[in-house]
Amino acid sequence: MGILAILIWVRDRTKRVTCLRIFIQAASVPLIFLGLIVGPFGLPQYPQVGNAPRDIVIGTEIFGRPFPDGLSVPVLACWYPSGRTVTCPVWQMQAYLYPFWETGVGFGWGIIYTTTGLERLAIVFGLVILMALLLGRAFCGWICPFGFYMDLLSYIRRAFRRPYRKLPDKVNVALRQLRYVIIAVFMILSVILGSQAIFGVQLVSGTEKGGYLYSYASAPYCQVCPMRPLCVLCEVAIGAMNSTFVFSHTKGLFYEAGYYITSINMAVLVFATISALAYRRLWCRICPLGALTGLFSRFSPFKKASFLRLEKDKEKCTKCGICKRVCPPQIREVYEKEGGDVTTSACILCLRCIEMCPYEDCLKVTLAGKTMFKSRNWLESS
Amino acid sequence: MIVAGIDMGVQNIKIVILHDREVIAKSIIPSGFEPRRAAEKAFEEALKEAKLSLKEIQHVTATGTGVEMAPYADSTISMIAADAKAGVFLYPSARTIIDVGAEESRVVVCDEKGTVLEFAINERCAAGSGAFLEAMARALEVRLEEMGALSLEAKGTVSINATCVIFGETDVVSLIHKREPKHEIARAIYDALADRITSIAHRVSIRPEVILVGGVAKDLGFTAALKRKLETEIFVPENPEYAGALGAALHAMNKAGGR
Amino acid sequence: MMMEKKYGVEVSQKEAEEIKSTIRTAYTRLIAEYIERMKKGWPNRPKVMDYFYEIADFKTREKELIEAKKEGKKVIGYTCMLAPIELILAADAIPVRVSSGWYDPAKIGNRVVPVEVCPVVRSTIGVALVGLSPFLELSDVLITPLTCDGMTKLSEIVGDYKPVWTICPPRLKSMDQAQAFWREQLIKLKEEIERFTGVKITANRLKSAIKLTHRATRTFRRLQNLRKGRPVIMGRDAMLVNQTAMWDDLERWSMKAEELCMELERRAKENVWACSPNAPRVMITGTPIIWPDNWKLPNLIEEAKPQGVIVADELCSGDRFLYDPVGVDEGTMDDLLDAIAERYLLPSTCPCFTSEKGNEDRVNWLVNRVKEWNVGGVIYYVYRGCMLYAMEYMRIKKALDQLNVPVYYLDTDYTREDVGQIKTRVEAFLEMLEARVEI
Repeated sequence: MGILAILIWVRDRTKRVTCLRIFIQAASVPLIFLGLIVGPFGLPQYPQVGNAPRDIVIGTEIFGRPFPDGLSVPVLACWYPSGRTVTCPVWQMQAYLYPFWETGVGFGWGIIYTTTGLERLAIVFGLVILMALLLGRAFCGWICPFGFYMDLLSYIRRAFRRPYRKLPDKVNVALRQLRYVIIAVFMILSVILGSQAIFGVQLVSGTEKGGYLYSYASAPYCQVCPMRPLCVLCEVAIGAMNSTFVFSHTKGLFYEAGYYITSINMAVLVFATISALAYRRLWCRICPLGALTGLFSRFSPFKKASFLRLEKDKEKCTKCGICKRVCPPQIREVYEKEGGDVTTSACILCLRCIEMCPYEDCLKVTLAGKTMFKSRNWLESS
Repeated sequence: MIVAGIDMGVQNIKIVILHDREVIAKSIIPSGFEPRRAAEKAFEEALKEAKLSLKEIQHVTATGTGVEMAPYADSTISMIAADAKAGVFLYPSARTIIDVGAEESRVVVCDEKGTVLEFAINERCAAGSGAFLEAMARALEVRLEEMGALSLEAKGTVSINATCVIFGETDVVSLIHKREPKHEIARAIYDALADRITSIAHRVSIRPEVILVGGVAKDLGFTAALKRKLETEIFVPENPEYAGALGAALHAMNKAGGR
Repeated sequence: MMMEKKYGVEVSQKEAEEIKSTIRTAYTRLIAEYIERMKKGWPNRPKVMDYFYEIADFKTREKELIEAKKEGKKVIGYTCMLAPIELILAADAIPVRVSSGWYDPAKIGNRVVPVEVCPVVRSTIGVALVGLSPFLELSDVLITPLTCDGMTKLSEIVGDYKPVWTICPPRLKSMDQAQAFWREQLIKLKEEIERFTGVKITANRLKSAIKLTHRATRTFRRLQNLRKGRPVIMGRDAMLVNQTAMWDDLERWSMKAEELCMELERRAKENVWACSPNAPRVMITGTPIIWPDNWKLPNLIEEAKPQGVIVADELCSGDRFLYDPVGVDEGTMDDLLDAIAERYLLPSTCPCFTSEKGNEDRVNWLVNRVKEWNVGGVIYYVYRGCMLYAMEYMRIKKALDQLNVPVYYLDTDYTREDVGQIKTRVEAFLEMLEARVEI
């Protein structure tokens, strides 16, 4: 209904799609954290971990195989907060390696894994691959709540009439390479800290079950991810999580950390927030989950398989530079490539370039070959 | 089907009368000060030769620089189109027609039906046409009719500047003072003109066969020089100065309904 | 102006007055004659065309500018369309293009520069020397983008008569440093304009100015789109409508042009054509064709036998002028200036720019035009003395040959003497196009 309202009310063609996108992003937040709205309420705020009683997890059965943590959607839909409906695949990839490699008890309220970690990992990868092939990084642009958070910060900046800043090109390109390094590092770390799955024994002391590093070893990336503190702090603020438990912590080796938040988490969140006030969608340029999803827009054989493509008509392009200027993650490929397929892995498919391109049919986004949205002479509607 | 074509050239008016694709009469008269009168006279002569009266001509097409002054014209076409039509009529394999006239030169590329594909005309200057030869012959103090044969004896030891008639004339005079042999200077003059024509020709994509028409095509010295510069075989039809009028007559044939 | 003239040539007051009055009378007659010919060529034209014919004789607008100046408004002239008019409009000043379209002053310009120089430049110099152009005279200052060699030296010469602000567009416009350089210059220009007019150019003022040019661009493109199908408007008239935007009040122009578009849209539906739908469709590309004298070629094309119709052009005095809009993203001052700087520099098809692929912006624009406007033949129009356009001919010809579109190189000058010769060539060309259509 909201979608229709926007499509009817917003006449300015240079804003319509963006309005739609913000609306869908905003709508995704309650959808992802549905449990907080729907209930059940009034439950004791126990210091519980894992699937809280208010999680309304969807996708608990995939192709008949039990998948208790829920559907993996390639957005930062953090596993840690309560009331969620889907799960962050990064957590799943780490946790199913260790400590949930075998069947048995999982974290939380009666979670029992009846399938092997390998099988569950396969399902996670399968789901992520499927979604990446279908919609690519459109998840990043249209659903991810952290993306929405950064867009909100942009709007706050605009309310104060401050201009945005641009990263120098070389730095931007370096960041794009960096995100592959980040995800690789954390995957490797996950294997090292979860070596029991492969080598039968924990290599790093303190990470075995009961050790004081146990909970951290289960998901090394989550200890630095900025989404976790954002979700957790928001939930503490609205009373959906118990603050005492969240903030009780063990003094670890080199950081202050609790089960739900570490100081590194906080530092990264603060950094991401402040930089998003100056640079648009900065986190998205280094997001490791984005790197994974974007793999299907990057390497040639996979590129051909992806369904969602950005295309450009060489002759209609006047090289006016508008697409390059309005792009939040500062992508240059759409401008610089002469024509044809201009999909890139850094693109979050916010479609701002298509919205702002003033030449008919020059840029378009296609799903399985069918044009979903193309650039128009936006002067026409005003 | 009897038709006629008139070429209102700057120097000469040419008439061609066609009877079912056969030339039955032609005439040529200098345009002088009153081209229209001259054209009427030329028409009279051609009709006499063909033993016809004006009424029996079904269609008359005019072409040439002075086309607005043509008498009896039922239709007009440009010299470009006329050249193309005449070209393929005379040589069915002709695809490039070079027409060097008294004051203008043209290069036309066409297809097998005589439809024009590309053309180029010399830039607003007489240096690329017959007028150049006339001026140079005067400077060399030979008769234009004799200069061609004279040049054929030469080996090509000297050259002259071809960008402008005035400069060309100065060059010729200085070569004479240097006692260069007349036949060499004559050849240099033809080479200069051929150079000019070649540079016009290269503005289009010339393709074989190349034929040369227009008054200057009768000059053997020029045809030799052009063959040298274009580096290709060039065919010259009989009576090349009538090409324009012939092309106009062929157009008249189309208009009158025949093929 | 107490400063000594750098280019030293003086014309005595008496002589200047004489020349001015002779030329002015001649031109009043010429403009009237050309307008008559256009009216004859399109007898069933819409009534609103009368407005554009009126603006075409410059007198109305001259009066308005005089009035505006009395009220304290400033008039800022410009010699090239790379000058950002939004900045001028935002400062409440009046922009007006001062390139000369008159042949006779070129002979006067020959006193200062050799005859081999670009005739547009020579004519503009002549016009400055004698005080012939109302718009040049009424301009308080000129913005002179240093696009080509001619423009660069013209800026110096005209600087002897009017204060000039120069901006230099970098030839390698795709480089980041080049764009930064251009943007810096526009910021300085903005400050100069603010100082001169006493008006602070705020983000809001800029946004209103952009809104105005957006409206003009919208109507401009609407008009050109109407020429894609069968001819509802004669090319000469469309070119005149396009050009009047360069000196007319933009808002009023937009209004009248919108009226014209609505009428033409109605005619398109009712199949009311301006000329035969089978007329060969011609596009002109090359050096600017400035009213009035340069209508020499458009007149020949549309009065020839067979009659051709000009359906599009790639001329900075024509279809290129208001084609690209300013893309406002967030609306902060930074963003607006970025948007304006990019709009003027990046999509420009002027051959003064170059790139690795050889000004592919112009090639792409032409190819797109040829396809969408169903162009039958292209006339490549170059003034003698223009190195840039002359040299790009081969590039354009090669690209258009691949589309099987004939291109004819037509060089001319600011003179009426070659009308006969151009007529022969144009008629041969149109004849050729007609024959091709029949195949």
